[in-house]
Amino acid sequence: MLKLVLTRTAASLVAIFGASILAFVLLRVAPADPARLLAGPFATEEVVEAQRVALGLKDSLVSQYFRYIGDFFQGDWGFSFSVGRPVIDQIGSRLPASIELGLYAFIFALVGAVICALLATYRRRRAVDHTINGFALFGLGTPPFWLALIVLLVFFGILDILPGPEGRLSPRQEAPPEVTRMYTIDALLAGQLGTFFDAGKHLLLPALVLGFAPWAFFFRLLRASLLEVSGEQYLATARSKGIRRWTAFRRHALPNAFLPTLTAAGLIFAALLAGSVLVESVYQWPGLGALVRDGVIEQDYAVVQAFILIGAFAYVVVNLVVDILYGVIDPRTRTGSAVTK
Amino acid sequence: MSTSVAEHGQGAGLSPEHGGHVLRVAGLQSEFRSRRGTVKAVRAVSLELEPGQRVGIVGESGSGKSAFALSVLGLLEPPGYVVGGEVILNGRNIAELDDRQMQTVRGKEISIVFQDPMSALNPVKTIGQQITETIRKHQPQLGKKGARAAAIELLRDVEVPAAGRRIDDYPHQYSGGMRQRVMIAIALANQPNVLIADEPTTALDVTTQAQVLTLLDRLVTERGTAVILITHNLGIVAQFCDVVYVMYAGRVVERAATADLFAHPVHPYTEALLRAVPRPDQLAQGPLPSIPGAPPNLAEVAPGCSFESRCPLGRGHKLCRTEVPVSTAAIGFGSGGATAECHFAKERVAEYLDGDATTA
Ligand SMILES: Nc1ncnc2c1ncn2[C@@H]1O[C@H](COP(=O)(O)OP(=O)(O)OP(=O)(O)O)[C@@H](O)[C@H]1O
Ligand code: SF4
Ligand SMILES: [Mg+2]
Repeated sequence: MLKLVLTRTAASLVAIFGASILAFVLLRVAPADPARLLAGPFATEEVVEAQRVALGLKDSLVSQYFRYIGDFFQGDWGFSFSVGRPVIDQIGSRLPASIELGLYAFIFALVGAVICALLATYRRRRAVDHTINGFALFGLGTPPFWLALIVLLVFFGILDILPGPEGRLSPRQEAPPEVTRMYTIDALLAGQLGTFFDAGKHLLLPALVLGFAPWAFFFRLLRASLLEVSGEQYLATARSKGIRRWTAFRRHALPNAFLPTLTAAGLIFAALLAGSVLVESVYQWPGLGALVRDGVIEQDYAVVQAFILIGAFAYVVVNLVVDILYGVIDPRTRTGSAVTK
Repeated sequence: MSTSVAEHGQGAGLSPEHGGHVLRVAGLQSEFRSRRGTVKAVRAVSLELEPGQRVGIVGESGSGKSAFALSVLGLLEPPGYVVGGEVILNGRNIAELDDRQMQTVRGKEISIVFQDPMSALNPVKTIGQQITETIRKHQPQLGKKGARAAAIELLRDVEVPAAGRRIDDYPHQYSGGMRQRVMIAIALANQPNVLIADEPTTALDVTTQAQVLTLLDRLVTERGTAVILITHNLGIVAQFCDVVYVMYAGRVVERAATADLFAHPVHPYTEALLRAVPRPDQLAQGPLPSIPGAPPNLAEVAPGCSFESRCPLGRGHKLCRTEVPVSTAAIGFGSGGATAECHFAKERVAEYLDGDATTA
């Protein structure tokens, strides 16, 4: 088990190194010249050249890379000239918003998918199965921004029971004291129930919309593997011991059915954490997605570069966790000597 | 183990006057429902088992042996349903019990060993976890430690080497034969009265088959467990069983004490099975011989005898084509209680008796 953790961690470090090189190279080959951008369009060539030297762009690529990595670990992620703030400040204020939204979307998707997959398979009712399955197909085929607009129209425009596109809190609502910068959690920590519900109401629609397609995806994966696992002989063995149907299912079928979903769940979780440009735009959600979109438009590459590294980091960490979980659940990945049939 | 016919002593033969059945199945019916129709897999099967007795069920693939076994245990899953009959185990009808009530029956009074030991164990749980699951269910007073000790003891009993260490292995670290030993350990963990073994050795190679069968023989003898052994292998039946039930198309078409069945097959299907191999002591290996023709479609049961199209005796016979034969007592053979489901059962028994008289 320890060996598994060590080898997987080593592999993760290699992956992050690769991503850092990619992020670094991106900035060098990007069409925009940072020195020119900083100096402004009317600066003379000498001024731009001086700016290049100041930025270290004249050094060898290797030493530039090491300085970049060193800066990165010291929290110097570059300067966003389009906003006039250090990149790390910007990301620091945006990332928690995206993480909170992604987290709830992920929880909705996964918990919803588990419940629906059980409903669709455990009792073997065709009608239930067909209904949920149809809904899932709809979920896979629906563009999220369109859905975001529709539910906003229904729940805000027509029914007026949920807040409109006004970000994370109502305009007059104070943000809770900063701990994690995730408002629902911070509000609970501070015991501010009013703030908690306000934040929750603002999260509900975007999280549901963002989680809809992942829900459909998880549901279909889980449904297929539950169907497969529920026909397995070892379930009959468990029941022949006097274990009740549901207990046997919970103990012997669910963990096994989860295995194929685990990898996909990890990737989707990482993707959700990184934010969604379109859904964030519709709900005026101050997350990473919007920041990166602006960064690309403004050719503000320091922002994009930091985003790539953070994204890579998230993917690698999540995958590491998935790999280790796999090892915990499935002994066959732990001990190499598989005598499979 | 020798290959002589039914040599061991336990309740040898059939004795209808004996009332002490540990299991009595009466008119059990099960079916599989699908869009294309309903397959009547078990069509009113009755079976009696005395304490410590060994009953064999033989019959070609699809004759309903597994469906019968699962129906007895109430483990048939949709689209399969038990639609009639009684299963009297230790004096009460377990066919009427619900899933909650069956908890104290399965694994305690009756258990089952499945055919394929590769898929019958959960790959992500240790052997120990899977054995203790049944011990802790039915003997909670043992506690965690006691259950583990009992599991190691069981593993030793089924002759798994280094049981104390290998109890923490996962199924993929065991060979097929060892896994089947584990399945037997699980099935016998709580000393059930009845063990159903559904082709317990079919998936194993020949040497392992013999070892596992010898082991099973010893364990059930020691514990006095009554066994229903489902198999394709007539040699195994000859070695292991007191009584044989021959199933065909969801029906028991003949039942007799093992020695009688091999000596005097009454039903033409049984005779065809035996005729396809020259001598009983050469049956020991290999699956059931194949008989020309195909079994009937169980989704649309035709009138008449279901063996008619393949029967050398009755093919084309008007009676056989139109009338379903009823179970007829094959009176006159040694232990009595034998039955055969054939219009000509009486005549055939008479022939045998004549033949025996002339050779005697
Ligand atoms: N899940 C199922 N769905 C539909 N029909 C089934 C199902 N399982 C079994 N059957 C049908 O029920 C009948 C009896 O099957 P069963 O498995 O009991 O036969 P068997 O005697 O055990 O055969 P084998 O020797 O191959 O194990 C067969 O005709 C089979 O096609
Ligand atoms: S009833 Fe007729 S067809 Fe059926 S087994 Fe007997 S002789 Fe053959
Ligand atoms: Mg079978």
